[in-house]
Amino acid sequence: MTTAPIYEARNISKNYGSVVALQDVSLHVGAGEVLGLVGDNGAGKSTLVKVLSGVHAPEAGQLLLEGVVRQWDSPHDALELGVETLYQDAGLAPHLSVSANVFLGREVVKPGLLGKLGFLAQKDMDTRAHEGLERVGIAVPASKRSVTQLSGGQRQAVAIGRAVSWARKVLILDEPTNHLGARQAAEVLVAIRAAKAKGLGVILISHTLPHVLEVTDRIVVMRLGKVVADAPTSEFSADSLVKTITGVLDARSGG
Amino acid sequence: MNRASKTLAALGAAALLLGVSACGGGSTNAEAESPASASSDKKLTIAFVMGAVGDPFFKAMKVGAEEAAREENVNLEWQGSDTEYSPQTQIPFVDAVLAKKIDGLVLIPTDPDALQPSVAKAKSLNIPVITVDTTVNDRTDVSAFITGDNEDGGAKAADALAAAMKYADGKTYKVAVGSSSATTTTGIGRMKGFESQIAAKYPGIKIVDKAYSQSKPEVANTNVNNWLTKYPDLAGIFAIDGTNATGAASALQAKNLVGKVALIGYDAYKENVDLLKQGIFTAMIAQDPAQEAKLAIKAMVSQIKTGKTGIESEVVIPNVTMTQENLGETEKYTYVE
Amino acid sequence: MDQTALLFLVLVAMVVVFTVINPIFFSSAVFANILQDWGPIVLMATAQTLVIVSGGIDLSVGAALGLSGVVSALAMRELTASGQSAWSAMLLGVLVAGAVGLAVGLVNGVLINRVKLVPFIATLCTMGAALGLSLVLTGGTPVAGGPAGSIQFSSKTYLGMFTVPIIVVTVIVVAAGLYLHKTRFGRWTYAIGSNQFAARGAGINVESHLYKIYALSGLLSGLAGMFVYLRLGSGSASSGVGQELSAIAAAVIGGTSLLGGVGRLAGTVIGAFIITGVLSGLIIIGVQANWQRVVIAALIAVAVGAQGLSNESLRAK
Repeated sequence: MTTAPIYEARNISKNYGSVVALQDVSLHVGAGEVLGLVGDNGAGKSTLVKVLSGVHAPEAGQLLLEGVVRQWDSPHDALELGVETLYQDAGLAPHLSVSANVFLGREVVKPGLLGKLGFLAQKDMDTRAHEGLERVGIAVPASKRSVTQLSGGQRQAVAIGRAVSWARKVLILDEPTNHLGARQAAEVLVAIRAAKAKGLGVILISHTLPHVLEVTDRIVVMRLGKVVADAPTSEFSADSLVKTITGVLDARSGG
Repeated sequence: MNRASKTLAALGAAALLLGVSACGGGSTNAEAESPASASSDKKLTIAFVMGAVGDPFFKAMKVGAEEAAREENVNLEWQGSDTEYSPQTQIPFVDAVLAKKIDGLVLIPTDPDALQPSVAKAKSLNIPVITVDTTVNDRTDVSAFITGDNEDGGAKAADALAAAMKYADGKTYKVAVGSSSATTTTGIGRMKGFESQIAAKYPGIKIVDKAYSQSKPEVANTNVNNWLTKYPDLAGIFAIDGTNATGAASALQAKNLVGKVALIGYDAYKENVDLLKQGIFTAMIAQDPAQEAKLAIKAMVSQIKTGKTGIESEVVIPNVTMTQENLGETEKYTYVE
Repeated sequence: MDQTALLFLVLVAMVVVFTVINPIFFSSAVFANILQDWGPIVLMATAQTLVIVSGGIDLSVGAALGLSGVVSALAMRELTASGQSAWSAMLLGVLVAGAVGLAVGLVNGVLINRVKLVPFIATLCTMGAALGLSLVLTGGTPVAGGPAGSIQFSSKTYLGMFTVPIIVVTVIVVAAGLYLHKTRFGRWTYAIGSNQFAARGAGINVESHLYKIYALSGLLSGLAGMFVYLRLGSGSASSGVGQELSAIAAAVIGGTSLLGGVGRLAGTVIGAFIITGVLSGLIIIGVQANWQRVVIAALIAVAVGAQGLSNESLRAK
């Protein structure tokens, strides 16, 4: 069900000093498509996420959102245009409430002069945060609660719920099921499917290969800063995927 | 020296060491009066290493030193740190002058222990040393020590306070003393003189409170504010140093008690003299730093030429009590800015 | 129990104890004395609360107070000598003091954002530099000769204890409280202190926000410098020395966590009252000067310890 790419990276290269992190990397994701991005530690996945989300600028290559070349000066730029990222283990500000986290960086202010002074419409945000999370299938306790009072699974659910409910075009999830129990991980997969149904292009970075095989439409495998495989998920078995990641099986490409 | 800023200067030095030591060496402040010409008349050179160039107390001292140097026809090398009164900043200046083959060293040790090795070093180079204002613990190698007398100053403050309160036997007078800290030696001396004079001459004066300003005028102000509330019949205050003077003066003004509570200050800084003129200070104890320096130069010249200073090994320059009435003749004691 | 309410009870208990020992304590005159100390401390403690909530610390607030007091005193002296009125001199003083404080805060911002120093080191450097500069400018002696009547103006009380500067300080603190707790600016401050990476990921410009926070901290300290000037009628380099610790203590007593992300300005305000109240109280009940510091230190330990305990009980629930 791949359509024209909603988000595309063309020939991206990125170095850290003399260390080459990404070399001529190209990938794309379509609207309503879930793309799996896998690879061993040090394959360059995290660097690629940072380029895609606007944390780092690439040395070479282009980013195209809906066919238009874009340059991100900060994550803020990417967010503005609908590219939402859930970073690994860093999603939430623990001392803030659930709704404050959901609206972080996008706070709703009161109407009129008070709003111009930056006064927050807190009640409005509390209600909307709760509704927004429910809509993407996240069962979250009261949105006034502080995140410190939530369990690890609940926190991750809030982080994902936030990303899904804000993403307008692209959703990038970096290891969203890390440290989660089976039931909570399943909830995350539900949220990913909700995002797909919403017509978002989803990029899922994960070490948990069964999840990747279960939820994605297509898989890109990276090794040592390069893309070594890009094929529909149906072409991989658990075994062949592991072999491609480790380099036992030679690269093949398709899609 | 400005005893009020002693602790402050030490703090400043510490902060500077921590904060901006990376920004390069401290400035030197050498002011050779007349460049040593090494001429045939073999003009003597005397180095005078004091506490802090910027402090009016030392500026007043410099006036006296220069006058004596002119009269004795010697070169004067006036040396010291810009603003910091601390051994860390002073010792390099002492080392520098000792390296220059000077004929005599007049020193204001910023610390009685830390400057002891510098005195020993001078002795080993056969350079005589005279200390002024403060001294080192072991005075074996010091030819003479000239100082103002803090105990005498404290006693004079007691006299001035008694006079200001129109002391009469049989009546009771509550007074309070604002000091800088429990460890400032000058403050201890002044307090001792103040207390023993009261014990000896003014049985009716009762010291009801003592407090420390920690060298901060706002803390001194808090102390006095609370005294004035606690003792509505407070008759007098002895502000032992500059910060206490500032704090007490502002408290009396704020509570509209100027003239009703006698206030005795210490050290003739220009601000203090102004407060005296305005009637906020009732009286003030002034030292005579110019006289101390003058005597030190003359004694040093004598020591170099004759091997004897011609003065006692310890000379105490008496203090002056300044009041509005005698200001005409005492205003000259104001420390130059 | 709500921590702020708990803290308020500590304050009330303190007032009761002092009053029992010496009834004079419960008087508008003593409260006026306490407010005079509270003014500058609460300004610096407010600054400190903002900074600490954002995950930093500002050691330069005391030195900024001193420097701004000195520089504005010099400016006011010039203006007064040129024959200008006391009002215009005082207005200039407020502006200069605020500007000097602001400048100190911006230097902190540059050191933290550009030079990448941790806040502790960055503000330690500016503390040393500001204190050194004050000494250089004054030679250690107070700068008087400003507008006549400034002491009388700043000490004239309404309702027995409220002076004009105290009313101004109260307005500033209330505004800062609203700003911290009710606006986007405050929300971002908490977010940065709670998890800087999450804040960045949410699109918040952390650097620019830190500039604002440290600038604001400097500005408030500068105004504290003007407050002290008005109270003393002179600017002194030694004013404010060591007061950064009182400001930090007030914030911490008030429940602000040095780890960032946690704190309420109401707590800080009460913390500042406890610190300054105990100072006057100990003088009024006649505790010997050297013991006062010991008592204050013990009080901080007790106040912070009690809150640690109540946090534990909160977590156990």
